[in-house]
Amino acid sequence: MPRTDFTEQLRRRLVELGCPIVQVRRLVQEVADHHEDLKQAALSEGLSETDAESRANVQLGDPLVLAEHLMAALRRSSWWGRHFLIGFCVLPLLAVPVLWTLFLMLGLSLEFALGYGWDWKKLHVATDNPVTFHHLVLALHVANYVAIALVTILFCWRARRSGVGLKWMVISCAICSLYASFIYARIWPHHFALGVTWTPQWIEAAIPLLIAGAIYAFRRRMMQRFQEKVAVKPPAPLREEWNLCRHPIANAKARLWTETGGL
Amino acid sequence: MLTGIMVRGIVTAMKKTNPSFLNGVPELLVLRLLSRREMYGYQIVEEIRTQTGETLSFGEGCIYPYLHYLEAEKQVSSQRREVEGRNRNYYKLTARGRKRLEELTTEWKRVTTGVSLLMEEQHA
Repeated sequence: MPRTDFTEQLRRRLVELGCPIVQVRRLVQEVADHHEDLKQAALSEGLSETDAESRANVQLGDPLVLAEHLMAALRRSSWWGRHFLIGFCVLPLLAVPVLWTLFLMLGLSLEFALGYGWDWKKLHVATDNPVTFHHLVLALHVANYVAIALVTILFCWRARRSGVGLKWMVISCAICSLYASFIYARIWPHHFALGVTWTPQWIEAAIPLLIAGAIYAFRRRMMQRFQEKVAVKPPAPLREEWNLCRHPIANAKARLWTETGGL
Repeated sequence: MLTGIMVRGIVTAMKKTNPSFLNGVPELLVLRLLSRREMYGYQIVEEIRTQTGETLSFGEGCIYPYLHYLEAEKQVSSQRREVEGRNRNYYKLTARGRKRLEELTTEWKRVTTGVSLLMEEQHA
């Protein structure tokens, strides 16, 4: 198997396994260098070009198996990859309320610092004002939505970076969605309530699912584009013909240009 | 903790996981080699194989995720350079890597001394 085929197979399998693109580029580059080093070592022992190529391939093994090993090593090399159950099932449950509280505090602090200063008596009286109360409710909702969205994005990003695959990304999104749909926060004048409700909150529940869907669609599109890019690379004489199929309008213009002598 | 090294002879039994007594050994070996001079992936694999008398070896190509991990931990740094007409990523030890190497070496010596004492006692 020529080196280019080897690296293309390796690259494709790594992408399929959910390896981050930056890592794919670097790993493929370094494995290609390694392959060349193995080949040079074989050549220095007096083997022919073909034999050296074959020996390098044998030493590196099947590119698909090597990709699996590389992904396993990538997973093992990060905390998230080794503890995916805690990382993607338990931590989202803790991260949502923490981030939600932080956002709420930040929003309320800004709101009151700008409008009423830090006088707590004034703040208490301020909640009787319908406009201020409306702002409070708004701050609560925004904090809720932003916290849910950010936690989901954070865990998706971690899943992607640690190479644990789409499965764990979806699981963390589903947990965020479940959590968001049954945990509620309500505000009344001089009252604040946080608890569990059996009536699902569909907007909150939809946010992580929408993010998961968007990430899945984006990843699918990227993989398709990648497959198109590396799929059928015709040999040099056929390239022109291949280009004809892909760009019929540009090609028709070029043909017209040739036929009319450039007029 | 890095656990991606293979011991000759029991490779088949360790395809998926490695024995826990090898935890941290690949890290120690890579850092030790890089403390002598900067190296690229193929060189590291070869040096591990030859200098351990072919007792320990990395799977060809599998060393790169470990090197990337060590780089992310800022224990090594890498630079792509052209040497003798070949472009390669050269890895070298950082100050943090040197400190980590000292810790691992101390730990390794402590463990091997303890195990040796026990083994000698059993033989005696």
